[in-house]
Amino acid sequence: MEAYLLNLGILISIYSILGVTLNFIMGYAGIYSLAHAVFFGVGAYAGTFMAMHYNASIFVTLPVAMAAGAFLSLILALPALRVRGEYFVAASLGLQVLAVTIFSEWKSVTGGIGGLIGIPPLDVAGFEVFKPSQFIFVTVGALIIILFIINRLVHSSFGRSLRAIRDSESAAAAFGKNVPLIKTISVVISSALTAVAGVLYASYLSFINVESFKLDTSVLIMAMVIIGGTGTQSGPIVGAALLLLLPSLISYMDFLPQTEIGSIQQIIYGLGMALLMIYRPGGIVGRKKQSETGKE
Amino acid sequence: MLALQLTITGLQTGALYALTAVGFSLIFGSTRIFHFAHGATFIIAAYLFYFVNVSGYGMILGAIAATAGAIIFGLLLNRFVYVPIQRDEGSFFTIFVASFGIGIVVQNVIGMVFGRGFVTVQTPLSFSVEIMEGLYVSPLAWISMLCAAISFSLLWYFLKYSQMGKALRALSDNPELVRVFGMNPRFISACAFTIGSILVVPAAIISGATSGLNPAMGHHVMLISLAATIVGGIGSVAGTLMAGLALGLAESLALLYVDSQWTEAVTFAILFLFIIVRPSGLLGRSAAH
Amino acid sequence: MVASSADTQDVLMEIRNVDKAFGGVKAVDNVSMDLRAGIITTLVGPNGAGKTTLFNLITGELSKDSGSIKWLGNPINKIKPFQASRAGILRTFQDLRLFNEMSVEDNILTSVENNSVPIPLTKSQRTARREKVEHALNRAGLFSKRKVRAKDLAYAERKFLSMARVMATDARLWLLDEPASGLDPNSYEKFLEILRDEVKQGVTVCIIEHNLDIVIGISDRIAFLDRGKLLADGEPQSILDDPELRAIYFGERT
Repeated sequence: MEAYLLNLGILISIYSILGVTLNFIMGYAGIYSLAHAVFFGVGAYAGTFMAMHYNASIFVTLPVAMAAGAFLSLILALPALRVRGEYFVAASLGLQVLAVTIFSEWKSVTGGIGGLIGIPPLDVAGFEVFKPSQFIFVTVGALIIILFIINRLVHSSFGRSLRAIRDSESAAAAFGKNVPLIKTISVVISSALTAVAGVLYASYLSFINVESFKLDTSVLIMAMVIIGGTGTQSGPIVGAALLLLLPSLISYMDFLPQTEIGSIQQIIYGLGMALLMIYRPGGIVGRKKQSETGKE
Repeated sequence: MLALQLTITGLQTGALYALTAVGFSLIFGSTRIFHFAHGATFIIAAYLFYFVNVSGYGMILGAIAATAGAIIFGLLLNRFVYVPIQRDEGSFFTIFVASFGIGIVVQNVIGMVFGRGFVTVQTPLSFSVEIMEGLYVSPLAWISMLCAAISFSLLWYFLKYSQMGKALRALSDNPELVRVFGMNPRFISACAFTIGSILVVPAAIISGATSGLNPAMGHHVMLISLAATIVGGIGSVAGTLMAGLALGLAESLALLYVDSQWTEAVTFAILFLFIIVRPSGLLGRSAAH
Repeated sequence: MVASSADTQDVLMEIRNVDKAFGGVKAVDNVSMDLRAGIITTLVGPNGAGKTTLFNLITGELSKDSGSIKWLGNPINKIKPFQASRAGILRTFQDLRLFNEMSVEDNILTSVENNSVPIPLTKSQRTARREKVEHALNRAGLFSKRKVRAKDLAYAERKFLSMARVMATDARLWLLDEPASGLDPNSYEKFLEILRDEVKQGVTVCIIEHNLDIVIGISDRIAFLDRGKLLADGEPQSILDDPELRAIYFGERT
């Protein structure tokens, strides 16, 4: 039971990092990415590559993974953010599809469809972290640091610009905001931080393959953010916890066909996304609809 | 000869891509609803046809069921998801997320009912015939192209001559025009959904017999539709049509140079190239905001 | 303003032969006009005359089909909206486009901040910014509501917030798209007072307005547009007395 809870806690904090970083661009800048799992994967593969071939110290793996994530996101963001929001959705969907092909084909780095095994544990300043009871401190610590960074950004003038762009892009531009530049910077920051989750994930499981970085994962992360509450601080974490608990909840319900847990889970959050958009676009944590709060 | 073979396969694929993409483009252009569940319409139509056909009711009933299913799904979604959201604020992303959620539900429900593997509609028409030495073409290739040609002629006629068609075109050009026409915007958007959903049906049916079906296809269909809409130019039906054909051709002809698992990468590369070089698309207007 | 002095005032913006068509319909048709420093120029004309489109062409929100625009003597034909804003041309929108989820104060703060990169401001920059925001809050009568979300404001307050966003900046030219429409008499008086004050302090204003009483009340100069064409450009009285223009204007209303 303790092992189960620790495992769940570690996964929740890793997925919370994914949710928080996606929320940064989605909730504050209004950039909807279907490629978040790509940067998760790039972080995992880049970190693993460094750990297996050069050095497993987090002072090597994390910077390399973050740089790789940032660089790749720049390639996506520079062209796609010059134009309207629809283009980014399309381009990110395309990137997600393409990345899965590359993850499965670039065998020398990713190990192909079989993936990579025997990934070394995290090396934190010479101390090897692999026991779940220690690992959870690393993941929770990383989550707190990332939350802190994003919180600072959101409450700076940069964060105001992001929210202004989300609320009205044309008005933000009319008041001197270089919209494409600001969006690009936010995507680069988000992707670099996302890669951190990839490094943690890979060394925790000591095994990765392409299955973890497919479109389904991007969708899951988006669902976590939306169901928890887009543009709120705690929403993505609530969403991550809820959706990761969902499979175990479903398995307690005997009347549901247990072989279809994956599908039922997806149906629940798909339906959740649609219903929330109609009745409560702010998510569980977010504000209620304006009309319900009784304006004036 | 391989090039010719691939050109014909490419035209066949392209014709189907054009049909789905134009459906999406028409809906998005005239209502500004980012109908991501268009891919779900596709798999609903495809599986309905497959189901009716396997159950022994024949192809005609299958096609009727597929058409009805597609239209009903489109209209229900419009009425019970998009209209309530639009009434409230109608931001593009809110609609996208809701539509996306519905797409996930449809994909998984169909996966639970029919299984997640590939299924194929069996028909003698899918067997290739050697029409020239070394050139094999199945009758379905011609049927695809013919279907696309007929559908687009009808669509063209409708857009050009009917009152509703003119309204849809004008709206694609300038979404703020609704009131100028004095037509009920609700009715116009219902029409856009009906036509957009019908256009998917032939593509869905034929895909079931050629490439086979699986519930996850919706995302692929959506990627192609989005790419064709952007490459063709948002708001331009003719541009989307050409882009759909071109994407199908490119995907097929790419096999001359790369392995088949890279074909989606070709679509993505073309999409990216257009976003960088010509964001307004083949025939579109200004893309900046 | 004395009528005869208008011609001698500096030209801030020079608009020459500007065209813009939407799908074959000319929204702005060969328009040439000047915006003179320190006065209020009003754009008048029936719906669809191309007034807002002209604003969009000036700020680079839309690109011109042809023609040229000069700002302080320099061509600004390829300008983007954020550059126009940094060059001192600011606008409001007919549909306001407030940053709805943000507080009143943050709305105004955002409009005075021009930095794109997340680098902290210096202390003196912060103080200067704070002063501008407080000034605008006070002028617009929104100080007590500075923590309220923009979308929770009443209609007139929303309009004043949209003005305050412009007021807080150092812009030389204000392009106001129907800023007074729908205001009650009290709010209207307040709006007029703010506008006159700011003009006195050197701001140049170009306004789109429908209500003729308001037009008469504020204009130093009137430009009359119809179906994209500039029909007349001159002293308020001469334009308003012109029977043909009156016919076009009121013809649309009936």
